[in-house]
Amino acid sequence: MEVLLYSLRKVIAGIPLVLGVTLISFLLIVYFGPDKTYELVGKNPTAEQIAEVRSQLGYDQPFVTRYVRYLQEIVTLDFGNSESTDEKVSSILARTIPVSLLLAMPGFILGNGLGVALALVAAYFRGGFIDKLIMGSAAVGMSVSFLIAIIAFQILLSSSDGLNLFPVRGWDTSTPLAYIQHVTVPTLATVFVALGYNTRFYRAVIVEEMTRDHVRTARAFGVPPARIFYRNILKNSMVPIVTRVVFSIPLIIISGSLLLESYFGIPGIGKVTYDAIVTGDQPVLKAVVALTAILFVVAQLLTDICYRLVDPRVSLR
Amino acid sequence: MTAAALPVERHGDSLWRRALRKFRRDRVGMLALLVVGSYAVIAAGVMLGWWATGWAEISGPKWAPVSAEHWLGTNIIGQDIFSRAIYSTRTAFEVGLVVAIGATLVGAVLGALAGFYSATWVDEIVIWLMGVLDSVPFILLVAAIAYSLQDSPWSMHIAMIVTFWIGTARLVRGEVIKLKGLEFVESAHAIGLNRLSIIFRHILPNTFHILLVQATISFVAAIKSEVILSFLGLGVKDGMSWGLMISESTFEVLAGYFNNFIAASVLMFGLVMAFNMFSDALQDALDPRTVKSP
Repeated sequence: MEVLLYSLRKVIAGIPLVLGVTLISFLLIVYFGPDKTYELVGKNPTAEQIAEVRSQLGYDQPFVTRYVRYLQEIVTLDFGNSESTDEKVSSILARTIPVSLLLAMPGFILGNGLGVALALVAAYFRGGFIDKLIMGSAAVGMSVSFLIAIIAFQILLSSSDGLNLFPVRGWDTSTPLAYIQHVTVPTLATVFVALGYNTRFYRAVIVEEMTRDHVRTARAFGVPPARIFYRNILKNSMVPIVTRVVFSIPLIIISGSLLLESYFGIPGIGKVTYDAIVTGDQPVLKAVVALTAILFVVAQLLTDICYRLVDPRVSLR
Repeated sequence: MTAAALPVERHGDSLWRRALRKFRRDRVGMLALLVVGSYAVIAAGVMLGWWATGWAEISGPKWAPVSAEHWLGTNIIGQDIFSRAIYSTRTAFEVGLVVAIGATLVGAVLGALAGFYSATWVDEIVIWLMGVLDSVPFILLVAAIAYSLQDSPWSMHIAMIVTFWIGTARLVRGEVIKLKGLEFVESAHAIGLNRLSIIFRHILPNTFHILLVQATISFVAAIKSEVILSFLGLGVKDGMSWGLMISESTFEVLAGYFNNFIAASVLMFGLVMAFNMFSDALQDALDPRTVKSP
């Protein structure tokens, strides 16, 4: 009951944020965005025709009315049709989001899993050679641009100048083998770039937990190291680790995939967004910006609630 | 701060003097500073027109190999890759400096105001703004800003400043909340200084070590983002940059010509790596918890 009330309070506290992100996307894309009137009227329009199109687009309405209409579109998920393909925006999203998830998931899981594993090893050998080796490699990995990693892996693994093991670009999930072939190179590039940042962050978290007083006390009392490691260090490190993982979910769906999908020609949400940016497809753009931002706020809420479940010390105020 | 954390202090020892001493002894940091300095000299030379002036000229055949005339060969339409890569150093510094200075200034001012007026409506608004801007994915924010600015060459810079000030503001806000309870602020109140002068002349200068480190972090982030944004067509509009070179090279690498790709990648990697190391060393040197007397 307490947790339920807490969650409810958090949801209410999230409302100003949701209003804020929708306001920003409304201002940038719809209100200050390009005037669509002259793309819709025919040749040599009369003044009445122009006025009619403008009222269809809502340009004659006051600011608040237009913003409320935009909010209605978001709530009902009815963003109209894409300007370039005339497909319904909601059906575009339904078709492309699963593709992006399939593309991003392996890299996301490997990047975070390996990151935690390497961070544990580095923290265990803190100050030693293995720690320096891992953290040095992380510093190098952090300095490589995502784009450079993608191209380098493509040359090495998919071109005739390299090993030529995988298709150069494209997407196919008809069989598990085809899926693995198409997802490997993007996944390697993602993991390569994310691993440096992840390892560094997770190592800092774990080292911080290792140097706490209760760990020293447990050690002094002769608790077995494996038990200290699991109960005192790993469990306590989970809170910041889970936060980072949850927070990056909305980002991998859009930002990570935008580059990967436009580079490899994969028909996911990132590719759709990229095309919408290039062609100035307003309905698609406003749907994507608003929905990812809202997803992000929701992810924040979920983390707060997860904190409460994982860590009873977090107050319920 | 307890006595144990601050070891024997020399007369007139300041945070800055101790940090400088510590930084000088940090070999990796000094090396990184040297590398960043060399890049800065290259960029300044380009700005003054000393070298790489012919970056846009078609000066040789298509895909010419490495030679005395074209140190790194030529690209798909016969432009000299070496001078293009050198010229791009200037673009990188331009983007990095504009974004680092802009984001740090905005972050310092808003962070200081939020911290000084913490738990009032000023603070609430700044926190709300940070939460809102944090929630819009970076690339989409750039795209949206570029969309509404109708392809202005500054849309990339503006979008980066709009995103990057948040990290600085969070840290400055926390530090200002700590500082505003100290005696020197109390005395400033007591002698009747007005609030703005207390915030900007007495409190903010004491957060300078945070601002310096944050500026280096923004600089690196800006250079890395520029490459991706330029590739997507949202970045550098006129001129040349490593991002544009890499996006040119995506066609060339499939045909087996790697000079353009390697030149831009290696130069960019060197600068980003050196700047990351420099930033880490600076952070170590300025962290009062790790400063030890020699």
